[in-house]
Amino acid sequence: MRGPVSMSNEEPIIVCQDVRRHYGQFEALRGVSLTIRKGEVVCIVGPSGSGKSTFLRTINGLEEIDGGNITVDGISLPGSRRETIEIRRRAGMVFQSFNLFPHMTVRRNVTLAPMRNQRLSRSDADKIAERLLARVHIGDQIDKYPEQLSGGQQQRVAIARALAMEPRVLMFDEPTSALDPEMVNEVLEVMRELSHSGITMLVVTHEMAFAREVADRIVFMADGNIVCDLPPSSFFSGANEPRVQQFLSKIR
Amino acid sequence: MTWDWAVFFGTFPLLGSALVTTLELVIASLVLASLIGVILCFGRLIGKGALGWLATAYVSMFRGLPETVLIFWIYYCGPFVFDARLSSFASGVLSLSLVAGAYMGEIFRAGVLAVPRGQYEAADALGLSKVHLVRDVAAPQAFRIMLPAIFSQVTILTKNSSIVSAIGVAELFYRGSTLAGDTFRYFEIFSAVGLVYFALIFPLSLLSQRLERTLAVTR
Repeated sequence: MRGPVSMSNEEPIIVCQDVRRHYGQFEALRGVSLTIRKGEVVCIVGPSGSGKSTFLRTINGLEEIDGGNITVDGISLPGSRRETIEIRRRAGMVFQSFNLFPHMTVRRNVTLAPMRNQRLSRSDADKIAERLLARVHIGDQIDKYPEQLSGGQQQRVAIARALAMEPRVLMFDEPTSALDPEMVNEVLEVMRELSHSGITMLVVTHEMAFAREVADRIVFMADGNIVCDLPPSSFFSGANEPRVQQFLSKIR
Repeated sequence: MTWDWAVFFGTFPLLGSALVTTLELVIASLVLASLIGVILCFGRLIGKGALGWLATAYVSMFRGLPETVLIFWIYYCGPFVFDARLSSFASGVLSLSLVAGAYMGEIFRAGVLAVPRGQYEAADALGLSKVHLVRDVAAPQAFRIMLPAIFSQVTILTKNSSIVSAIGVAELFYRGSTLAGDTFRYFEIFSAVGLVYFALIFPLSLLSQRLERTLAVTR
């Protein structure tokens, strides 16, 4: 792997060492090491099937690892069920397909985790939901059900839901890939605002313009490995790396 | 044969206690069948090896037997096998439950499996405990999916409860048959009996349709 591990001197929030994952004979992750420091915005890009999403999902234990270890905010994986739950509360996740709870209003989607995990009262949780939904510009939809909203609106609710646990890091798994083109920007705009707020973000994405603009580092993955980890300017000039150049030529 | 309204209307009061017996049969069987169903559902979903195999075998067996045969078998052969004679009511409840339980198990299992994987992942990603994942996320959605099938199973159970008249349980159909046999007023009496069954089942269908509609909006 080429490039600096990190350019920041802040404390590390996520440390992955030699993370491995295979499905039968197929090696999805072949020893991935990555450190994310507080406040960094890191975009993971690469061709499909390169292991980007799998890697992201190992960080909060949605995907079990077969080798190596991961530390999130001081807690290690693999670990006990209790530790895994604690990691999930500190690492929020936004999915490609939103995965909102269809039987709950937008408000309940956002208040569920604070009420159950932190035992907040309904009124305290409601205040959090109102604040966060206003932050993702959807405060007026608070008592609707997810299916009454557009895809872009649903994804913004999902972002608010992930923020409700006050996570140390927010992870996005291709958050705009399932959206109609005209809704991509409203979600990216919210993510752009978040990135300026100082929250640590790890984003698997195909939105290259967004990555170039917002990321502190771009991590390029191929065949279950990290090929390079560079600032956007170096990455988009080709990184002296044939696989990166090939990838960039295809998406341009 | 002339239709006699007096006999027709006079039949209903005579069916009162039999209606209670039918309701008892249906409710007792429903409770027992749901219990069997829950065990089967989890047996097939999480049971590995013998447990999963047993649950699958149970479902295949009791879905493949006519209730009538099972009712006679339990009532007449049961004493030789278990060394104790069950009352006709208990035999009836047991037979109806064993069969309905097999169907309930499959309904529950289908409902749980129909909740999309992403829902479990979202609940996990929020750091919800297993209890909250099931109670707040999985169960309400699975229940909505199961509801129409559960209602249809209750309907079938209510209708099938008439079969236990064959071993002398004094439920609606049995009472109707004896009354008709005594008076030869088949026309009026079986019409009245049919109407009582319909009056039990029709509101269930209405309720089911109504619930489906309200739940569809809030899904």
